[in-house]
Amino acid sequence: MNDEGIAAAPMLDAAFSWFPIASSEDLPFRHTYHTKLLGRELAVWRADDGYVNVWEDRCLHRGVRLSIGLNDGAELKCQYHGWRYASRSAGCTYIPAHPADAPARTICCTTFPVVERYGLVWSGEEPLGDVAQVALFGDEGLTLRPVPIHAPAALVAERLRSYRFRPNPTATGSSGECTVESGDERAVVVTARDGTAEMNVVFFVQPVDARTCVVRGLLVPRPVDDAVVGVLRHHNERMSTLRDEVEEAAAVMPPPPPMQPRVRAPAPVAEPTHTPADTRTAPLRVVVARKWATADGIAGFELESIGERLPAFQPGAHIDVHLPNGLVRQYSLTNGPGDVVRYRIGVKLEPDSRGGSKALHESIREGDVLAISEPRNNFPLRRDRATTILIAGGIGVTPLIAMAQALGHAQLDFRLHYFAQSPAHLAFPEVLDLLGERVVRHLGLGPTETGQRLQEILAERRPSSQVYVCGPGSMLGATRQMAAELGWPDDAVHFEYFKNTTVVDDSSAFDVELARSALHLRVPAGTTILEVLAEHGVIVASSCQQGACGTCLVSVLDGVPDHQDVYLNDAEKQRNDRMLVCVSRAKSPRLVLDV
Amino acid sequence: MWSNSSTRPIVDSFERCTDPVALNQWHPLSAVAELRRGVTYQTLLLGEPLGYGIDDAGEPVVWPAKALHLPAGSPLPATPPAGLPTQVSYGYLWTTLGDPQPLFAIPEADEPDRRVLNAATIGIATSAPRAVENFLDMGHFPFVHAGVLGAEPHTEVVDYRVDVVDGEVWATGCRFPQPKAAPGSSASAMTDYTYRVPHPYCTILYKSCPFDESRRDVIGLFLQPMGEEAVRANMLLCVVDPISTDTEIRRFQLGIFSQDKPILENQVPRRLPLSPIAETPIRADKSAIAYRRWLSEMGLTYGVIPAADGAA
Amino acid sequence: MIKLYDFELSVNCYKARLLMSLLDVAFELVPVDFYPGWEHKTEEFKRINPLGHIPVLDDDGFVLWDAHAILVYLATRYDTSRQWYPVDDPQLLGRTASWMLFAEGTTNTASAARLHVNLGYDFEIESVRAGAHRLFRYLDEHLWFTEREGRCWVCPGDHPTIADIALFPDVALAPEGGIDLLDYPALRRWCDRIKRLPRFVVMGGIFPASPGR
Repeated sequence: MNDEGIAAAPMLDAAFSWFPIASSEDLPFRHTYHTKLLGRELAVWRADDGYVNVWEDRCLHRGVRLSIGLNDGAELKCQYHGWRYASRSAGCTYIPAHPADAPARTICCTTFPVVERYGLVWSGEEPLGDVAQVALFGDEGLTLRPVPIHAPAALVAERLRSYRFRPNPTATGSSGECTVESGDERAVVVTARDGTAEMNVVFFVQPVDARTCVVRGLLVPRPVDDAVVGVLRHHNERMSTLRDEVEEAAAVMPPPPPMQPRVRAPAPVAEPTHTPADTRTAPLRVVVARKWATADGIAGFELESIGERLPAFQPGAHIDVHLPNGLVRQYSLTNGPGDVVRYRIGVKLEPDSRGGSKALHESIREGDVLAISEPRNNFPLRRDRATTILIAGGIGVTPLIAMAQALGHAQLDFRLHYFAQSPAHLAFPEVLDLLGERVVRHLGLGPTETGQRLQEILAERRPSSQVYVCGPGSMLGATRQMAAELGWPDDAVHFEYFKNTTVVDDSSAFDVELARSALHLRVPAGTTILEVLAEHGVIVASSCQQGACGTCLVSVLDGVPDHQDVYLNDAEKQRNDRMLVCVSRAKSPRLVLDV
Repeated sequence: MWSNSSTRPIVDSFERCTDPVALNQWHPLSAVAELRRGVTYQTLLLGEPLGYGIDDAGEPVVWPAKALHLPAGSPLPATPPAGLPTQVSYGYLWTTLGDPQPLFAIPEADEPDRRVLNAATIGIATSAPRAVENFLDMGHFPFVHAGVLGAEPHTEVVDYRVDVVDGEVWATGCRFPQPKAAPGSSASAMTDYTYRVPHPYCTILYKSCPFDESRRDVIGLFLQPMGEEAVRANMLLCVVDPISTDTEIRRFQLGIFSQDKPILENQVPRRLPLSPIAETPIRADKSAIAYRRWLSEMGLTYGVIPAADGAA
Repeated sequence: MIKLYDFELSVNCYKARLLMSLLDVAFELVPVDFYPGWEHKTEEFKRINPLGHIPVLDDDGFVLWDAHAILVYLATRYDTSRQWYPVDDPQLLGRTASWMLFAEGTTNTASAARLHVNLGYDFEIESVRAGAHRLFRYLDEHLWFTEREGRCWVCPGDHPTIADIALFPDVALAPEGGIDLLDYPALRRWCDRIKRLPRFVVMGGIFPASPGR
């Protein structure tokens, strides 16, 4: 190999560099791999779609290592409380202790950049540029067995310069002629020549912490297949000898100071999880990657992010789509777990369209850019019931398709009853096929037959079952009434209108006065004080947004708060002098806050 | 076999504690029933090496090893120098390095028909507050104690009440469906729990008794802080169970202990962070939220990471 | 029916429980209050096993102690496929015996460290930990090459043997003894493979794996 072995680049500070942290083989099907880089522990796992996730090794809830968690192919599940985090975004998708709640979007693990190249997985704190360019061999190398060494990376890199090997280990004779082509404390290239045979080894050194590193070697060119194991053993022997020598040397050296992982900014705060209906924001830009007719009168859209990766979502979530004509429409995401690269929605052309569905059907084309909101969820799926009955009418199937896939993935029992005019009216038939026999199609039924069918479905009530229904208003009304007559408890029957308009929130509406900001604001039903403040540029730090952590505690100067948090104790609540503005509201018509 | 009876000095050592809140507490050292009379044992308390034992008359003796180092297993000294205060309560030998208030009371322990026994003493590489918080937590039952204290998909933690009463944290009205509530029960049952934290490193649970609906079993978790990030966890049982053998009762509780241990040892950091935004509490954690605030308010620093501003 | 004198937290008892479960052999447990009751040191228990240790297997009057001996007996007696203890293949049997001896080493180091931390047993803790690391380093390397050769288990062949069962709990529970598995990714993958065997059972301290293919 010539001196282009590794592209010359100025040495970057370790925090801005790429390091190999695993071999590709370290991430087999549904395994969770544990490693450390620069003193920071990492949980690394490959989703079933091949994507490699590199995350800080701590569940956000109670700090339990995620490297002991379960990789289910789409999500990583913490062993302690079963919290689930989605591949790519690392956003929390489910908190089992509160099955009826959608987790706040701020609950998102720290992720690190990742590149998979030369059979190695690369990551770093905040790496700049590209991974080391290994010239001449593309992806055709052979990854050697990674060798952990209890010695500092710089010392090991130095010793690697005297690494010697035979280009063809099955041949008898000496080590061949070895030369060091290039090297620094991150990487060393050694070339061995023996007659006409020439072989190169590129060593990359992963600094695990101050005292330990892993040497990851790459052999170029790749030997012929039947020689591979012999070559791997040859290098492993040589590396083991080098390891023993360097560990012996390191043992008598003064121990280096420990590496402190860089402190990263705390989780983002003060981001509203719910955008009020009258001042919608559309922070995401997506491109229409695919548009197709998924059924008669229903267009499917796949939306791909431009820039930042798409935020996590849960079954039942929807997005606001901002159309070029100024209209804003809500559409449910149909994606299943692990299907996180593109948001997928289904849009029915409404005969009486005021321009929303019409614009999407007629004007929007593949390649167009749309502004959308982050996903919100007013229709969260409980996964704490033994059986779930999903009832869809027409386009109301969209959130239920997402739910069916999530339940199937979690191996929970469900049935999806899909009422539609005809087979041609069934949206996303390819997903329905994958769900198999658990989808029951009810086609071409009139109102009376539909009612009878619903009656039969709801008659199968068992103690630990629940119903989710989404469809036309008449169907919802009928289902609701029948369920009540058949003895279904209210909390086991969940509704959403298929247009995904926000479910009517009948809670209080009141005024807040901000004493220090001299603002007088109205808090409408369905919107939190925190959100109203944020809308008007008044940022109160918040974290959990569930009334649990106390971050958004503010003083109350006048008025009676309607405390809904768990942070303040009863006596504190009775004093009415402080409140958590993320969840608590007002009993009095007006509150004066010291903000 | 026991390091407590070893002839070697204790090799583990920790920085000594300077936190007056931790020093001015009673701390458990050992179940008295497990000590041979007249023999010296060694241990660490708050980083301080101690010698201790029960003398031939049955009286407890505890002293700092820096005043008199005796190999473990040697005859117990009659009056060691700088002897520390001691008491035997609930079957454990307790001592202190400071000037504590009286130990909390467990009136049930005096009821004649109760079985009072040490279910287990296990070393865990964590801080005492992390272990207490885990004990207060119901949300992990279906995941960590699957099939025993809980089972998926029944994972919801319904609301309960938390109060600070007479300087103790109490969580009442806690309920969780349990497939196998105790060694004596086989059917699943909605089990009632009351949790009490009377001491920064000790907590007590009252739960439905499968043998007598009118009474509640009492389970205590008493942590001996050997260091900030190393404890010996003692589990007291004070139960109404006319049927099970001690072995069966212990096996059940040891099984539960052994499931919690690897979770606790995989928590990062090991010391309990008291800042409310260091981790992500949810409503189900309100007893833990109250416990963290309570520790902050009492000014505890040993085994915790205090909130930056000194208050929760 | 088979009786196993058992202590829940003992790795050696778990080896017997695990193999009986994998072989789908019915058995009943006789709990022994090993800790804190020291029941295995009582005269009564020594009438069952004069050496005063567990596990002890009682198969219809045939009494056997020592976990690895129990594995040999159970596999030979109850594995009709003759794969867990491959008596029909001399070379494979030799390998199995060799790894069983290796497992004595992991038990005496890794599992000893665990007893020290959990129950305060008196071992030179740093020395047993170092011993465990020496063995794990070798085992990790062995399993890495095993994977390269397209195999999954410690012995050659496409079926696990009792050597895997003898080694698994020592490895899986090593972190309890303060022995980090960070340096042994091939060991962690092999643990996942064992956890995915049909009828695998956990013990306290061992987490289940997510289902495989």
